[in-house]
Parts: sequence; C-alpha cells; structure tokens
Amino acid sequence: MAQARLILDELKKAKVTHVLTVPDNSSRTLLELLAADRTIPIVPVTREGEAFAIATGLWVGGKKPVVLIQNTGLLETGDALRGTAIRMRVPLVCLITYRGYAKLQASGISTKAEALNASLLSRLDLDSVALLTEPTLKAWSIPHYFLHEDGDIAQISAAFRKAQELEQPVAVLITRDTT
Amino acid sequence: MFTKHQFLEPLARLRTDQIVITTMGVVRPWARYSEHALDFASADSAMGHAADFALGIALAQPSRQVICLNGDGSMLMTLGTLVTIASSGVKNLILFVVQNGTYEVTGNQLTPGSDRVDFSGLAKSAGFPRAYTFDDAQAYECSLEEILSGDGPVCVTVKTEPGSEGPLGRRPDEPAHYLRCSLADSARQLRGALLDRGAD
Repeated sequence: MAQARLILDELKKAKVTHVLTVPDNSSRTLLELLAADRTIPIVPVTREGEAFAIATGLWVGGKKPVVLIQNTGLLETGDALRGTAIRMRVPLVCLITYRGYAKLQASGISTKAEALNASLLSRLDLDSVALLTEPTLKAWSIPHYFLHEDGDIAQISAAFRKAQELEQPVAVLITRDTT
Repeated sequence: MFTKHQFLEPLARLRTDQIVITTMGVVRPWARYSEHALDFASADSAMGHAADFALGIALAQPSRQVICLNGDGSMLMTLGTLVTIASSGVKNLILFVVQNGTYEVTGNQLTPGSDRVDFSGLAKSAGFPRAYTFDDAQAYECSLEEILSGDGPVCVTVKTEPGSEGPLGRRPDEPAHYLRCSLADSARQLRGALLDRGAD
C-alpha cells in the first residue's frame, strides 16, 4: 500500500496545480489529505470524461493538472480522452486506481498473454474492469507505471518526466488503497 | 428565432480580449467575423466537450473572460458540466448555447427534446447566478453588453434557425483561419498566446 502523504508530496514536488477527480474508495484517503492540506485545489467533476477536457483546458491556460479516477472511469472517458488530452498532446499524468487488481493477480491471468473473450469477462471470480485496464491503455497508446507500495513512489515523478518527454498523457496505476 | 449572423455579429463587435471557444455549427461562421489569436475551434476534438474545455481555461486564467459558443446537441452530451461549472467557483465563463434544435453538421437531425429543453433553466438549477434566453435578435443585442459585464458564470441560450454548416475538418486550405492546423498545434498556439500575454 502507498501512503497518501507520499503521493501528495510527489504531486507538490511536481508543482501540480489542480486535481480533477471522481472519487472512489481507493483514493479516499488521498482525497481527504488533499482537502485537509489545501495546497492543491480539488476540482470534482460529474463524469470522468469531463476531467480530461477540463485538465486539457487548464494546461492550455498554463496550469499543471492531474486526473485522479478509478479504472472504471477510465473506460468511460473514451472519446473525451482521445479528443482532448491525446489529440492535443497534453503532457498529463493520470492517477488511476486499479479496481480488481488483487483478484486478477490471484487468478494468474495475464492480460498481456491471454486474449480477452466473453467467458473471461463474465467470470464471477474476476472483475472485468481489471481485465480491460491495461489492454485499453495499450490501445490508446498511453504508457503506464505501477504504484503498489511506498517503495514505488518515484514512479510518479517518472510518469511526469515521461509525459513531458512524449508530450502526451501517461498513467500511474495505483493497485491498492491509499493509506 | 434569429439567424447566426444576428447572433454572432454583435458579439464579434463587442468582443475585446476574451478567449472564444467555438464548436460544431458556429466554428466556421465565427471565423467570418474574427481572426483573433485567442479564438479556438473545438473541432476534430471530443464530441460535447467544448464547455468543460472552456471551463479549464477559465480556471487557469481567472483574470480573463472565456466565452464558449456551444451547441444544443453538444450541451446535451455533457449536461453534468453545467453543475461542474457552477460548482467550480469560476466567475469568468460565459456559456452560450446555440439552440437550433438540430445536429446541424450531420444534416439537421432533431436533438432529443428539441422543442422543450430549457438550457438556461437547467443552468439556473445547477447554480449559475445569471442565465438568459433569447429568441429575438433585438432583445439579445440590447442585452449583450450587460451579459458581457459582471461576474459569471453566465448561461445564454440563443434560439437560432437551423443552418446548413457541413461536417467539420482541419486542413491547410480551410477558409476558417483556426482550422488550418492540427488540433495539437492549435492548442499550443492558444497556450503560447495566453502565456505570452500574461494577465493583460
């Protein structure tokens, strides 16, 4: 598990100006800390696609936002992400909580090696959003990093560097609840 | 109902240094009145996401007014954005909703609820402090100075006749100045213009 305090410190180090979010249980602690800290404003949105359009506008206006959403919301964003941050080549870091990751790991299934099909996507013991997360990022050409625990915290800075280098969105997948 | 000319011409006349974001059926018509460096076409982009994109710019540039010329079909795709705008605390965003009742660029198919949706009523309910609806060109023109002054966010529904704009694209020979380069280049040009100008 990664401590929310360490994530917040990384965001401050990167000079992040806004956090656009639809909350979930995994990001709850981080959002509570952000709200209490008050250094970086939180912009709550009604749907995840909005987060990417607003973040793109913030970047055009000279700010440095991040998007904090769950992987279910990532799937919702589809055309919004494609037509804003990707199409406009915005160096945007997206923190994505990875619902279903633990079950996926326990199953031994690799979404890199196995073709997805209806029977896999409807299995009771798996969360289909976990099966679709990394293939979707790959399809959208979004590089990603993993944040499993405190020792991975530098992956956030790596994501900011990669986003700047490639001039495009980059994801950080948060695989466990923040504490 | 009034024409796009009756909507856009007075607005272009009163516009000073505001950022103007256009989409769908007003992208090309606006370019007939304006070649300003702070014009941006949300074209070849994400359907329905001009208003939230404009909100991002408004949050980033609080000392400068942002005008979004949205369509009714586009607004219907992201109605939640009205709530996000009102909740954001932004004061410098003016959201026009051009209500012609159709998806103009795809052949004027009717939008859902085209004859009864009250966008300004929705905006008021969402928390916009000011909202207007016009179906008369003279009343609109008389109110425009007031609309452009004071704190927002403001929602202005203008009931216009359906037009005949075709599909939007970006290419070097496009008559509309801001459709001649890629969306990514266009975004960088606007960013460059805003950062160069600072808070003037």
